[in-house]
Amino acid sequence: MSTHILGIRHHGPGSARNVKNFLEEIKPDIVLVEGPPEADEILQWAVHNELKPPVAILCYQPDDPKQACFYPFAEFSPEWQAILYAKQHNIHVRFMDLPIANQFALEKENKKQVDENADSDSVEPKKSTDTNEAHTDVITDKEENIVQSIKRNPIAYLADAAGYDDAEKWWEHMFEYRNNNEQVFDAVAEAMQTLRSHLPQEDNKMEVLREAHMRKTIRQAEKEMFQNIAVICGAWHAPVLKEMPKQKEDNDLLKGLPKEKVACTWVPWTYGRLGSWSGYGAGIHSPGWYEHTWQYANDDGTRWMAKVAALFRKNKMDTSVAHVIESVRLADSLAALRNLSKAGLEELNEATLSVLCNGENILLNLVHDELMVSNKIGEVPTDIPKPPLQVDIEKLQKRLRLPATADFKDYTLDLRKEGDLERSVFLHRLKLLNIGWGANTNVSGKGTFKEQWRLQWDPNFSIEIIEKGAWGNTVEEAAAQFVIHYAKENNSLQEVCILLQQSIPAELSRAIDSLISQVNNLAAASADTIQLMEVIPDLVSVSRYGNVRKTDAALVTGIIDSMITRICVSLPAACVGIDEDAAQHLVNLLFKMNDSVSVLQQDDISKLWQETLLVIAKNNNAAPAVAGYATRLLSDGKILTGDDLVQAFYYSMSVANAPGMAAAWLEGFLKGSGTLLLLDEGLWNVVNNWVAYLREEEFIQVLPLLRRTFARYSNSERKKLGEKVVSGKSSSAGIVVSSTLAVERAKQGIPVMMQLFGYGANNK
Amino acid sequence: MSATALRQHAEQLFAEELEELSKQDELKKPANWKLSPQSVVKYLVGGKLKNGFEVSPKYIGNKRLMEIAVATLTTDRALLLYGLPGTAKSWVSEHLSAAISGNSAMIVQGTAGTGEEAIRYGWNYARLLAEGPSEKALVETPVMRAMKEGTIVRIEELTRIGADVQDSLITILSEKTLPIPELNTEVQAVKGFNVIATANNRDKGVNDLSSALKRRFNTVILPVPDSMEEEIDIVKRRVESFEKVMELPAEPPALQEIRRIVTIFRELRNGVTLDGKTKLKVPSGTLSTAEAISVVNNGLSMAAYFGDGQLKANDLAAGIIGAVVKDPVQDKIVWQEYLETVVKPREDWKDVYRACRELL
Repeated sequence: MSTHILGIRHHGPGSARNVKNFLEEIKPDIVLVEGPPEADEILQWAVHNELKPPVAILCYQPDDPKQACFYPFAEFSPEWQAILYAKQHNIHVRFMDLPIANQFALEKENKKQVDENADSDSVEPKKSTDTNEAHTDVITDKEENIVQSIKRNPIAYLADAAGYDDAEKWWEHMFEYRNNNEQVFDAVAEAMQTLRSHLPQEDNKMEVLREAHMRKTIRQAEKEMFQNIAVICGAWHAPVLKEMPKQKEDNDLLKGLPKEKVACTWVPWTYGRLGSWSGYGAGIHSPGWYEHTWQYANDDGTRWMAKVAALFRKNKMDTSVAHVIESVRLADSLAALRNLSKAGLEELNEATLSVLCNGENILLNLVHDELMVSNKIGEVPTDIPKPPLQVDIEKLQKRLRLPATADFKDYTLDLRKEGDLERSVFLHRLKLLNIGWGANTNVSGKGTFKEQWRLQWDPNFSIEIIEKGAWGNTVEEAAAQFVIHYAKENNSLQEVCILLQQSIPAELSRAIDSLISQVNNLAAASADTIQLMEVIPDLVSVSRYGNVRKTDAALVTGIIDSMITRICVSLPAACVGIDEDAAQHLVNLLFKMNDSVSVLQQDDISKLWQETLLVIAKNNNAAPAVAGYATRLLSDGKILTGDDLVQAFYYSMSVANAPGMAAAWLEGFLKGSGTLLLLDEGLWNVVNNWVAYLREEEFIQVLPLLRRTFARYSNSERKKLGEKVVSGKSSSAGIVVSSTLAVERAKQGIPVMMQLFGYGANNK
Repeated sequence: MSATALRQHAEQLFAEELEELSKQDELKKPANWKLSPQSVVKYLVGGKLKNGFEVSPKYIGNKRLMEIAVATLTTDRALLLYGLPGTAKSWVSEHLSAAISGNSAMIVQGTAGTGEEAIRYGWNYARLLAEGPSEKALVETPVMRAMKEGTIVRIEELTRIGADVQDSLITILSEKTLPIPELNTEVQAVKGFNVIATANNRDKGVNDLSSALKRRFNTVILPVPDSMEEEIDIVKRRVESFEKVMELPAEPPALQEIRRIVTIFRELRNGVTLDGKTKLKVPSGTLSTAEAISVVNNGLSMAAYFGDGQLKANDLAAGIIGAVVKDPVQDKIVWQEYLETVVKPREDWKDVYRACRELL
């Protein structure tokens, strides 16, 4: 009986190759892989021909899906190769890490401890957050974590000794790029052994437990009379799995660990996620390059440079074969200069930069995005047991032909088309569920029947999907439930209105009903008129939007009616006794409200609104800016015209009024209407006559006020106003069409025209 | 002779280092190289030798760039150093040729008037008329000599040379031979021959390389210094070496003065203050590190001969203004704005402000 410990680096293509060769050589009868034992059952899918890496095993707590972690695999991951080997040769394969069930539970305890120890500055909380990080992140990247953070130093010692300044690079050249791999695992184990024995041990409880469990699994396999056991684990663990302590010690350690319920499934993964910059802190920088080295182990850089050249040509940059030759040569001599046996990615990149890009870094970004990372997304067979919500989403994606891609893709949806409408509804629902797959951008050009979406899939959505699965088994159901729940929690009128606005394009009729009744209740209870006014424009746009969407706008219109009624009742009171800023805000709201009311085109509401405006305009105590603007609106709506308007204007601008008040009133009255004043003869006359009517001393008194108002208009407007004043009324042509037709002469042409139209002949 | 030279060649100034490096060098040397590629890199970026000898850094910055440059020269591709004026292109090229060939004097200065005869060969017309075309009537250029001797030849400001003349390099670089049709012969390059060209990307009226020629060069772009500290380091080292050469009696420059100059240059070059809070207008000049060095040098001379021997803001002001204000109208506005909005409010910069104010 023999046990082989294969220390590897996660996602190391060289390690993967070594593992594969080694397994083929020793022909084990069981393979043990570092990974969550809970996922043993779903390992059968690994050989399914629809399962294409990069994929990840997702472990989560069904009752708390936020508590989740991923074990990603690429084709060049040693673990993946080991699993494939076992499955293809029909031998047993098992995961041997500490069960996720325990890890989650331990983490929770740690967290609790951290919270408890929050005040006391002991060392303990620090440590537990460390382990937290290591475990809530991608578990398989733990080794990278170890290599990069805590145990970065140990490897750096070795690299230092070998004369490298970068530990990562040393490892790559030492273990990943080499082709001759005799005894490489012994060497790794020995190196790690030395490190572990010479460096002060970090007392990491989780690590101790994990290693104990790994040993336990190995013992179990031995007990089951397997003869030839292959163990694939992170290099760091190799030595402690070789030298087994007493069984009892491990068992004691593992006894009575807390547990959580855990479920596992396969999810598609992306290369971008394997990369380190996408939020996971640890990972590999260049999955595309690793895949290349996995596929073409013997490539001396020629094939890679050919790929680069092809990419450059595709992007319309002249790249000759001579370029490729020169860059390979440069990469080789760089490697020689740096004392490396083979040009690595850095050398190749530098050669590309110098030979192909003329030293310009920008072009190298292309290589980075397309080749080094190469945004590849994995696939998972449809019949894998998945949460129902996930199944529903995939079904919809397929039916609506919206594939999940790692790169972003743009869609312009025409909502008048049945299929596009469905797509839009689907995307809106996902958005409500906080699954940010699609981002809605504005379409150029007006019209509410078009939507522009940008879709980019992120493997992390899997967690969201599982989490939201609690709300329902289909997208529609889950979205509706979630919205209702969320609205109940955020019981503010504004929030609910926003939700309502979002729910309408998502066509969640049940949720909409509930939201509407909630809005109704909230509006009834709300004493804040301003708040009501703020939501009206949105609601009105919702009701207008409803027409394109074929949703029942009547529902919304109903509550709009009741809300406007409420506003009209309380608005006059709200205009009294407010300061200037609030008045300005109110003026803006009046403007929007007025717009909304005219959009609604309902006579009774319009009438109500005008009456309210009239009350405000006539109210001496109302904030002058608001009163002024209300007067203007009334004048615009032809409610207040002629003498009434003149009277109102003169009254408000009387000298008896405090200058500040009068100025504010005028400002409100003329809000934003420099051009209007030019074109609207009625308005012009009112203002012009008033100025003319003032006596000189009065005029001097109000001059500052007028200046203040008119100073807001643009230069050209003021200039035109001035011209209009100088030239008097006559120049203002206005809308009157002057009839300068010579009637007699025109009449002469009529017979000819008749003839042309073909009437003349008949008449004659 | 060379003791009285105003400026010594790199191979003379650093003869001791080169000697020591060559003694310690056990690695394989390419044909006709004085040092192995590794040692050349070490000569450029500095470091300690096995016997404890300290090699001073010539290029302060990314070591990888120097490695690419040296690796390029080991292949038979020519090297093009590209970058803003004052980013040590010529400096690097001089030291590269000093370290590789032990001779940095093979140099062709590119100008708009550089003709083919300055790159390939010329004729001694008196002889030509008297004897007809002969080897003796031929005037060799540095390029031809370098080919014969197998050394590095430097071409400065390659892009300033007319396009037709530039292209005469193509045969030399690809076939490594220089035909002389008049004599029905050719000069074949000996191993070790190569070309280091420099060009800057700020100038107007330059001739871009033809793609045929471009293809014969590997390009290394030398960047402006990354960090403030790096730039201060460069300025300090270069100024100190200048003092040695010029035998200036002034006291060594206070780090603080250098820091202020580098700050001014960096801020104006990047168009933003160091704290990233205030946006600035950018003057038309490049404000390279090299200019910062010359401002400090200038200030040192001023201090030594006209001041009290100590580098003060007064001594530097003229130099700074000279470097910043290249365009008398626009740059002056930029400078005044900078002076009033950035320099003035800085508490400990009062002397700079006053000194600069006086000169405007």
